[in-house]
Amino acid sequence: MEEDLSRPRSAGSDSSNCSTGSASDDTFSAKITSPPATPSKKKQRTMSTGGNENVIRTNTRTIYTAGRPPWYNSQGQLKEAFVIGLCGGSASGKTTVANRIISALDVPWVTLLSMDSFYKVLNEEQHKLAENNEYNFDHPDAFDFDLMVETLKKLKVGKHVEKDDPCFLLPSCCSSQTQMYGANVVIFEGIMTFCNKALIDVMDLKIFVETDSDIRLARRLKRDITERGRDLEGVLKQYNKFVKPAFEQFIEPSVKDADIVVPRGAENDVAMTLIVQHVHDQLEKRGFNFRSELPQAHVNQPLPDTLHVVENTVQVKGLHTFIRNKATPRDEFIFYSKRLTRILVEHALSLLPFEDCVVDTPQSTQYKGKRFVGKQADGTVKLCGVSILRAGEVMEPALCEVCKDIRLGKILIQTNLETEEPELHYLRLPKDIHKDFVILMDATVATGAAAMMAIRVLLDHDVPQENIMLLSLIMAESGVHSVAYAFPKVKLVTTAVDKELNENFHIVPGIGNFGDRYFGTGT
Amino acid sequence: MKTKETGSGDCRPRPTSDQTVNHGCGNQLKVLKPNNQIRELQTVIRDCKTSRGDFVFCADRLIRLVVEEGLNQLPYKERSVTTPTGYTYHGVDFVQGNCGVSIMRSGEAMEHGLRDCCRSIRIGKILIKTNEDTGEARVYYAKFPPDIGRRKVLLMYPILNSGNTVIQAVKVLKEHVPERNVILLTLFCTPNGVRTVINHFPEITVLTSEVDPITPIHFGQKYFGTD
Repeated sequence: MEEDLSRPRSAGSDSSNCSTGSASDDTFSAKITSPPATPSKKKQRTMSTGGNENVIRTNTRTIYTAGRPPWYNSQGQLKEAFVIGLCGGSASGKTTVANRIISALDVPWVTLLSMDSFYKVLNEEQHKLAENNEYNFDHPDAFDFDLMVETLKKLKVGKHVEKDDPCFLLPSCCSSQTQMYGANVVIFEGIMTFCNKALIDVMDLKIFVETDSDIRLARRLKRDITERGRDLEGVLKQYNKFVKPAFEQFIEPSVKDADIVVPRGAENDVAMTLIVQHVHDQLEKRGFNFRSELPQAHVNQPLPDTLHVVENTVQVKGLHTFIRNKATPRDEFIFYSKRLTRILVEHALSLLPFEDCVVDTPQSTQYKGKRFVGKQADGTVKLCGVSILRAGEVMEPALCEVCKDIRLGKILIQTNLETEEPELHYLRLPKDIHKDFVILMDATVATGAAAMMAIRVLLDHDVPQENIMLLSLIMAESGVHSVAYAFPKVKLVTTAVDKELNENFHIVPGIGNFGDRYFGTGT
Repeated sequence: MKTKETGSGDCRPRPTSDQTVNHGCGNQLKVLKPNNQIRELQTVIRDCKTSRGDFVFCADRLIRLVVEEGLNQLPYKERSVTTPTGYTYHGVDFVQGNCGVSIMRSGEAMEHGLRDCCRSIRIGKILIKTNEDTGEARVYYAKFPPDIGRRKVLLMYPILNSGNTVIQAVKVLKEHVPERNVILLTLFCTPNGVRTVINHFPEITVLTSEVDPITPIHFGQKYFGTD
């Protein structure tokens, strides 16, 4: 059920082998003649995700204030990201074009990646050359194309990518890491993005920005002298020796691989509109809207083997009676739900893999016991918890009571009231989560849509399916089926399985809105 | 309002004890259903290399599991409630009228686990000391809730070794409470110990996590840090 890297590329990537722009010209002309009704509908949909200020970028993190709709289908399989390649000579305005596209797209989950972060690390000698403007940065040999292809491929299939960023000129002095995850659109820009066949193959849309060479030189002079503190002579020397020949030898010829050539860069409004419209169409084709399909999908199927229900003891039943009763006061609701969670967590831990061990006792005998396989010699435990905010968070205290010092990650998923789709808003996961067993927590699982998104996030971070356990106080049968169908190796652990969902996708008899009742935010 | 009836399920007859290891004690002895997690807790508690912090942590977890199972032995009645979605849930209600009694000192280690589950439960205490020369156990102090005679009693003592201490404690309790109302919660017990206790008091219920000829008799010392 994992993503299949070898499957044919999805619609819209028809341009993979075209050496002229003719195929995509057709595509674009088709777009122009299409009725204007569709774009306006699209506009509305994307506007509902929030205004323009929905991305906060800091040096190390990107925070999305508008959610990401599902990027996988109801079988949990991935939809590929749309990769845009952007090529053009030095100072041709690639970044400006990229930013124009990003703001016009109005889609929050966009990753902008620059070829500049793929320069090969310079050695001592090359450093000296660089200082004297003698090192050729404008040659394919200066770039690490293999790493570029690998990174782009990973981003394309939705994987989490960690990239080391060596300092541009002094690699030894500092290096930071960029975390990239969760893009629906990847824009890759650079001077030689079309100079490698493997790179071109990853791209779904290839844009060449054409700017007059005089303008480019003027911009370059201005930028290098005022912003980078270089002298006129040095900049000209570098330009004549490397930049200009490189453009003529490598960059200019690569225009033949472009799907569209944009003269005058970002000023070209017509080109910008065409590009944005095309990308929107492609995203629409890839978009999913399946929450309302989920509940009926697996009616009357036997419950899956991966489902583990805590024994229905008097205590479990009594605790359920308390927390399901709408008349239960909040302090009792909190107390009893915590008790129930503890029982659930203890049960879940017993499902982890254990190994035999023998210990010495103070009674001078040996005892044949068991040990969790994730327990390391240094005392650390390869186990972490991840809660699906907000309701999943209420299960954290019970987990911490049972697992000392456990590391906790959080994923915020909210249902978009307009589309009724879950949307990913925020995530923060423990480092090296792929080496851990992961206890994923949500108070209730109704359709399973949020749980599936959270599991997809974990898989994208390379956590193996069999190392994931989804814990929930109450699950609806349909949710169990949906999750188990999409992720057959994920263990589902709960204290009760309710039969149905009502027309609002609420579990019945259910428990109401768990988060609102726990946090006191209900009406 | 809808009154659709779903979500019910029988929770009554359920064998708690593992019948293959009842050590000739019939239904009087109930052993927690073993699983790897419980085995790990027992392993940590028994391991002489375990730090005190880990020991207390794991002991508290095991105690909580025994207490939760102990509460399952208490009476309850059917009760239906309405959920916030407007449906009926057929559940159960715990019957009031229970109390805990701990045998000092090590039984007190289990009070916290009981208190975590039942916030305001009444807890009585019995102090019993064993003469180390004769092995004879003597009651020094006992304090119970006044109406203990009407209550079910969860008697708490983590290690049941010879059974002498428990026998003395139940003798005192029987002056106030019918024998059948006493449920002994213990973490570890020996086959001999449990047999002795049940032979003495055929109506008592004993609940434990493990029956093994060797018990971690250092429990109280290590739990309270007095070794």
